[in-house]
Amino acid sequence: MANLTPMIDVTFLLIVFFVVVSQIVDLESVDLELPAPEQPATHLPGEEPRAVVNILPGNEGRSRGYKVAGREYQPTPEGLAGLRDALVLLYQSTPTMRVNLRADRYTDYRWISPVLKVIRQAAGIADVGLEGASLNLVVVREDA
Amino acid sequence: MSTGELLHEAVDLPPVRRRVREAPAIGLNLTSMIDVVFLLLIYFMVATDFKQAEEVYRLDLPERIEGMSVDPFQLDDEPLRIMVRSTGPGDEEYRIHIDGPWGEVNDFEGLYEFLDSRRLDGMGGGLFAEDHPLIVIPGADTRWSDAVGAFNAAVRAGYLNITFEEISS
Repeated sequence: MANLTPMIDVTFLLIVFFVVVSQIVDLESVDLELPAPEQPATHLPGEEPRAVVNILPGNEGRSRGYKVAGREYQPTPEGLAGLRDALVLLYQSTPTMRVNLRADRYTDYRWISPVLKVIRQAAGIADVGLEGASLNLVVVREDA
Repeated sequence: MSTGELLHEAVDLPPVRRRVREAPAIGLNLTSMIDVVFLLLIYFMVATDFKQAEEVYRLDLPERIEGMSVDPFQLDDEPLRIMVRSTGPGDEEYRIHIDGPWGEVNDFEGLYEFLDSRRLDGMGGGLFAEDHPLIVIPGADTRWSDAVGAFNAAVRAGYLNITFEEISS
């Protein structure tokens, strides 16, 4: 009779691994087609604390919402207010954090500009200092 | 002497060997675990999607303080305004206009050359210091990639004080 104990052990470890990792990946980033500028003068992201704001792509340059820390917000004034409140809480817990802004290359600027404004307002409400909000605009290097 | 022993001696047979019961060997059966580990390895090799290298531009958004007293003798640099518009669905379909007497440039490379050639070089040449404020002004329907392309040209040219203009609601 086969001894199934190690197989069951490994299988359970595997399940726990996938459950944990899939949640981390889902919270951090969304599958987007990020901008890929030619000859990018970019930096590698640092090790400082960060929050990731994803602008979810929709049809024909629209956005279907914003996603921060696993929560989605509608692209409406109410949704933007919710996004601002979430960012204020994050700034209050970590005033030195940077905000990684991830947006699809085909999204129109009309959907991105309100997010820049909300991030700036949230940093002001949380009183992070005169420098205000520090952003990382995320792109991909296609020559890497 | 028993009858059996007498019989052995009589027929010259080898002595009777007494059976000793040996303890069973203790060991783990690793076969199934190895099977699963190999399956796991094959799964990761097949399913791994190599992620493209993500990098960042650093950008500060200082808070605008309404009604803040301004030093009347302080001369602020007039920011250089760079307008970007997407004119079609293609990646190369965009227009760049630099506010003031400068007019249009053809593409992001042209914008880079314009900005690079006018940056103060410390030897009397150039027009704008590296901390001169630059404002990238995308239109409402400008693709994010075109806005980032203009931003990239300014960063490549060595400017440090670049920001995006927000669309007023």
